[in-house]
Amino acid sequence: METFFLSRLRPLFDVIAEQRELYVPHSEEGHFSFTRYDSSQTREIEFNELRLCQPIKQFLFPLREIAAVFPEPTESPDIKPFAIYGLKDCDLRAIQILDKVFAEEEFCDPSYLQRREKMLIISSDCYNPSESCFCTMMDGDVFPQAGYDLNISKIKDGYIVQAGSDKGLLLLRENESLFADVPHAALSERDENRVQARKQLENMLADYQFDTPINHIVNEGCQSDIFDNEAKGCVECQACTRICPTCHCFYLYDEKQKDYYQKMKIWDSCVRLDYATVAGGENPRKLLTNRTLHRLMHKFVFFLDRYGIQMCVGCGRCIDACAGEMNIRDVLKKLYEESKVNNSKLKNGQKSVPTD
Amino acid sequence: MVKNPYQPINAQIVDIIDESPTIKSFVIEPEEAISFKTGQFVELTLPGEGEAPFTPSSSPNQTAQMEITIMKAGHVTNLLHACQKGQPVGIRGPYGNGYPVDMFAGKEIYIVGGGVGLAPIRSLLLTLISRIKDYKRVVCRFGAKTPEDFIYKETLFGQWQNIDGLEIKLTVDNANGKWKGNIGVVTTILKSDDVNIQNAVAIVCGPPIMMKFATFDLVKQGFKPEDIYLSMEKNMSCGIGKCGHCMVGKYYVCKDGPVLTLKQLKEYPDIWD
Repeated sequence: METFFLSRLRPLFDVIAEQRELYVPHSEEGHFSFTRYDSSQTREIEFNELRLCQPIKQFLFPLREIAAVFPEPTESPDIKPFAIYGLKDCDLRAIQILDKVFAEEEFCDPSYLQRREKMLIISSDCYNPSESCFCTMMDGDVFPQAGYDLNISKIKDGYIVQAGSDKGLLLLRENESLFADVPHAALSERDENRVQARKQLENMLADYQFDTPINHIVNEGCQSDIFDNEAKGCVECQACTRICPTCHCFYLYDEKQKDYYQKMKIWDSCVRLDYATVAGGENPRKLLTNRTLHRLMHKFVFFLDRYGIQMCVGCGRCIDACAGEMNIRDVLKKLYEESKVNNSKLKNGQKSVPTD
Repeated sequence: MVKNPYQPINAQIVDIIDESPTIKSFVIEPEEAISFKTGQFVELTLPGEGEAPFTPSSSPNQTAQMEITIMKAGHVTNLLHACQKGQPVGIRGPYGNGYPVDMFAGKEIYIVGGGVGLAPIRSLLLTLISRIKDYKRVVCRFGAKTPEDFIYKETLFGQWQNIDGLEIKLTVDNANGKWKGNIGVVTTILKSDDVNIQNAVAIVCGPPIMMKFATFDLVKQGFKPEDIYLSMEKNMSCGIGKCGHCMVGKYYVCKDGPVLTLKQLKEYPDIWD
């Protein structure tokens, strides 16, 4: 789609903020988080060179919300249009995954659908991937492939704005007076930046080269002792699932209000001990090992079987958040190496496959 | 406007039947009739307290009222047992797949049940009995802890004993002097002797430990994994394949089940817990 050029983002964002709640990145001690756009400020908006700390799911699937009111149903609260700036390719792919669950199945989630419809997605390129990033291992890239309304690429003298949807294109065309012609060589500068960022990430990931698809690696390793060892470090804080942009477990609970009842929906985590316990007390995943395995199997195998895509976008947030220093990339690597050893033993005619 | 899948239909408990010391049946009348397929389940809300999944024990042909048989097992079920007639409740559903009764046509149906597991089986039996000639025969093997613990005693010991094409054999773990039937766990009466396993399906519903050993037994007897239908009890919160609690491998028991075949499940660990 069409590209436009801006030397400063403020004029465009002022227009967007007139019509929508706009959230932009704000850095603190090297990390980026969302903050409400303030049009009274004149300082240029920060450009997040890597993904933000917070997962995008919080805007589409809030931590806690009312799922239903009864006995007299009420209209769901009107969601105001909003815009999010600074999303990366990994975030856009996370939205694609959440859409599969909440917006494309037989039962759609009305509140998710409403938020999704009201959201304007302004993504941007990555220039400085984090040490925990591994999107390229998960079919992602350092710049958005699809799923944005507008994408912003920073170059030396300003910003290239690209429309990715009719909604985005309309917005740019309506405000054509804000834009200058795209300078000569700007697009090649953008492309060069992308190549550099990709190179930087690939160098960081040089130790994680697998010649087997990740779903096979995890599926074949599902009996491995590696999961026991990984579980030993886990303190069950659930940070990995909270901060994951694709984890979407929740549970429903009931509340009595003054003269009505409500059903609430709140985030849950498959790492929690009683997550799958039934009323009689049986628990299919009593051991932390089983729960660690289930989380990875869901991400890399089960979701793929069901929806045709993996439920991990390689953003690395779980690696940053883990108090037990579990590194999902290293788990994949260990499983991969173990499968190599086992396969070569099988080839050499050994019957049993020792796991030590 | 998209229908809100979390919105319960208002309903009322209109009758309560004591089935056993720990099990009661609740007759529930929803404000809007709810049609379901036998084996599907609903989420029953006790307002302000919570909700829990149950497979109705009544016939799907009856939509104005629904019967749900409930054992005291946790927070919501304990509170339900303390409820009186007239109690307002909420119902969401029906959810899941139910029993493929049309696929059973012309076959022998071998049903193994225990304890409160007879609840979904009652709905299934009412469906099968209504078209009993479509099936070669229906063979039931039911167990309970003691004779007292059997639910649906009136029909189980009465009417159902005299239906052509329906054969019921019962066992109890422990009994007093009056009990004339078999004593022992349900696997002690599972010998399917004259059942033609090649043209039969098995249905198992009951406590996890019973399901586990009954299923092993059926496999040993020669039932194919794809012919063994298991009614899975898992933690089903949303009921619509999203919240994740009921997952067994790639399956959402709430959406792909609650009736799943052994063939679908056998590769996954801990399906019996």
